[in-house]
Amino acid sequence: MTNASEPEKAIETYLASLRRHLRDLMDEDVRDIVDEIHAHILDKTSADTTPESIASTLAALGPPQQLAVRYHTDELLQRAQLSRSPALVLRVILRWATLSLGGMLVFMLSGIGYCIGGVLFVMALLKAFFPRQAGLNIQYNPGHTWSMGFGAGSGPHTGHDPIGLWLIPICLVLGGGILFLTFRFGTWSLRLFSRPRRAVSAGSAEDLT
Amino acid sequence: MNSTQNSQTPDAAEKWEIQLRKGSLELAILAALWKGPLYGLEILRNLESGSDLVVVEGTVYPLLTRLRSLGLLSSEWVESDSGHPRKYYRITEAGRQRAVAMARLWNRFSASMSSLLAPLNHAITNEEVNQEEP
Repeated sequence: MTNASEPEKAIETYLASLRRHLRDLMDEDVRDIVDEIHAHILDKTSADTTPESIASTLAALGPPQQLAVRYHTDELLQRAQLSRSPALVLRVILRWATLSLGGMLVFMLSGIGYCIGGVLFVMALLKAFFPRQAGLNIQYNPGHTWSMGFGAGSGPHTGHDPIGLWLIPICLVLGGGILFLTFRFGTWSLRLFSRPRRAVSAGSAEDLT
Repeated sequence: MNSTQNSQTPDAAEKWEIQLRKGSLELAILAALWKGPLYGLEILRNLESGSDLVVVEGTVYPLLTRLRSLGLLSSEWVESDSGHPRKYYRITEAGRQRAVAMARLWNRFSASMSSLLAPLNHAITNEEVNQEEP
């Protein structure tokens, strides 16, 4: 290895480490960030490409891990936590799910929550448009047994529906509540997820390269 | 007890100063971009030359990204003579409105603090005189 390639190697090592620590962000965002930091390093060292100059430029940026945490905190979490968009929060959780079991669990629970909330909303709509086919259906069978069903069928219910049209507001409130709680659960999980990384930025363990 | 408090005072003051600088950085960036688009290093140099802000480079770039994601800035890659493209930031209309609101708040806050701090000016002057004397 010649001396001339040492600065380039130092830059490459720095950028590779930054890229690795940014892996929780979207690919296009990672590319954009790394390209910008690379451009900054080139701009700052254009007049002086000595190893000392490169080293001081990289030092001024801070360790790649710490820089990545700032992006992580600022970009991913700020956007997701402060977002009013469940789609964005889900997108971030999906990205997280591809990286860890914890993320996968949060994604699955969020998916279940959104599905249940969505189904309740659909039930409210079905009850509004097809009041006799949709809703709670309790059948009293001969021999003092009974069965209960909840949903929508192709024909009118033959059993008893004790809730009736009250099902619409109940489903809307319950569905809305579950959707809201699922959304809050997602943002809360992301906040929890960010905690160890903030601790790292405060100067804890892990090697930087 | 007193010596412990005295030894902690500079550190506490330093932390407060860091928080103050950090808090004003967003407004400073928006102000730096007020006249036209700049790329990262230009923004840094602008902040350093136009203010007392000692800017940590690793703080500015993530903040630029956040301001862009909030819609206060827009950005585009532009080819340059230096051989590599540069990412230029431009303040958006929402960014201008935010900057004006922040500047108004800053001025009001600064004015009210100035009148509150007026009694301290005598102490500051005395301290400076004492430091100048051998």
